[in-house]
Amino acid sequence: MAAMKFYCDAERCIECNGCVTACKNENEVPWGVNRRRVVTIKDGEPGERSLSVACMHCSDAPCAAVCPVDCFYTTSDGIVLHDKDICIGCGYCFYACPFGAPQFPSDGAFASRGKMDKCTFCAGGPLEDNSSEEFRKYGSNRIAEGKLPACAEMCATKALLAGDADMVADIYRKRVVNRASAALGSGYQLRERNLGSRGEMKGKVTN
Amino acid sequence: MRMTTTRPSRGQKIIKWVVATVFLVLVLPLVPYAFDAYAEKSPVTSTSSSVPNPGSDLWREVRQRDGIVSGTTQARGVDAGTLINYSGEEWRQYRNSKLVPYSAYILGAMLAVFLIYYLIRGRIRIKGGRSGVLIPRFTLFARWVHWVGAVSFMVLAFTGLVLLYGRFILIPVLGAEGFGVTASIGKWLHDVSSPVFSVALIFMIFTFLHESLINFKVDMMWFLRAGGYLGGKHPSAEKVNAGQKLWYWAVALGGLAIVASGLVMYFPNFGQGRILIQDAHMIHTLASVFVISFMIVHIYLASFGVEGALECMTTGYCDSNWAKEHHDLWYEEMEKEGKIGTTFESEQQAAATASAKPTEG
Repeated sequence: MAAMKFYCDAERCIECNGCVTACKNENEVPWGVNRRRVVTIKDGEPGERSLSVACMHCSDAPCAAVCPVDCFYTTSDGIVLHDKDICIGCGYCFYACPFGAPQFPSDGAFASRGKMDKCTFCAGGPLEDNSSEEFRKYGSNRIAEGKLPACAEMCATKALLAGDADMVADIYRKRVVNRASAALGSGYQLRERNLGSRGEMKGKVTN
Repeated sequence: MRMTTTRPSRGQKIIKWVVATVFLVLVLPLVPYAFDAYAEKSPVTSTSSSVPNPGSDLWREVRQRDGIVSGTTQARGVDAGTLINYSGEEWRQYRNSKLVPYSAYILGAMLAVFLIYYLIRGRIRIKGGRSGVLIPRFTLFARWVHWVGAVSFMVLAFTGLVLLYGRFILIPVLGAEGFGVTASIGKWLHDVSSPVFSVALIFMIFTFLHESLINFKVDMMWFLRAGGYLGGKHPSAEKVNAGQKLWYWAVALGGLAIVASGLVMYFPNFGQGRILIQDAHMIHTLASVFVISFMIVHIYLASFGVEGALECMTTGYCDSNWAKEHHDLWYEEMEKEGKIGTTFESEQQAAATASAKPTEG
């Protein structure tokens, strides 16, 4: 049993919004809803970093805990999905989620909320895999086809990783080690050549 | 002319049904507590919970910065730039581990108190028996305002409690899909009744304002004697007693808080963020639990607990002996004005002739 997770490497993300576009295109997400978004901190300042955010498929998901109709479920892959046939559009999941993942299309009079929509890890919903109804309600089911989410597969810099948590963590760990050794190595070379260590290189070692 | 009536037995049947229904509605949410079935559901027990998110360190760092981390984003939408909003977790804790259990304890305790009170004290009868002489008490307009407000509020309270407890009580019975339909209808009813209640609330506030103004001396005495409900002499009371005045102010202030906070949640399209909505939800639920628990007192005493009370709000008239016992100061006032045994119609006629006289002369 795998536990599917996303990871966005802030050192690699270049805020191209390719993941957002890939998600919208793959799942034909309704207007006004962004299942995935890229947030940039310190935009235009030193230390600028970008993160691509969507549903984190939490182990103890707040959305599922507060849902008054209990429409959330976790698949055997650890993906948090919901049933739009049960959802009543109350908005509680939207209040509780720290990442702003659940969103609501404005559906009727007085801006009443329609059925909640959120990232499915490209795993569709409770309906029959890859049926047209499933696609209409939840979007693509790439997991059933043996593929990973479109956003991560599309990522040009491989900043956004998706897949089994252990494998994603391994890739990330290697990156951290490589970055650290590269920074240390360059610092060593600089000292060897009597150029002294440069202060700004320190920041590179950690995130 | 003195008016006599025979009590309508059909009306009483309806009242009994209403009381039974309301009682069931309020008791139903407490059933699982008896079986200790309710507990915060333990987190998913699959193996996935043991696998940490590879990004947890990064997100912990983001979270540990001061305040809510916001950035720029291409995504349009309220709070879209917010990376992590941990007030959501606080709200979850408030709703799931405070609001759900404690509101049930409060409402359950309220019901238990009145059930025990009923078993000990029974129905409070009119001591002198019915005189058959009637006094006009609530005009048709006041009764309409009362019942429109009452029915809409009971619909709101019921559907609100369904949304609060349904997951723990109704899903085991109806199944998730069945309850989804029930909750959808409930949410729709809640949305539809809320404007009705909001308008009725404004009318109620103005209609019953005059008689609910506090008369410190009389009302303090009433409270000190606990309204005579715990034995002893029945304290003096005006048209409405101090307890009813307190209920009026609970509805007026609690109702306004409920309506105002409800509007924040009802129209999510004015750019209000999650934090404001969470606060609104908190005010909405706290005020609602307060007013609903007070409503239990009101419904019990005004229908089942005190003989002769409900007819004031259904027929508009009360029995003179009932008025003497429960609202003596008001009875004296009515006696002075010569309104004992009159009807609304005869009063109107009298008022019409009184106002017509000067023009004649």
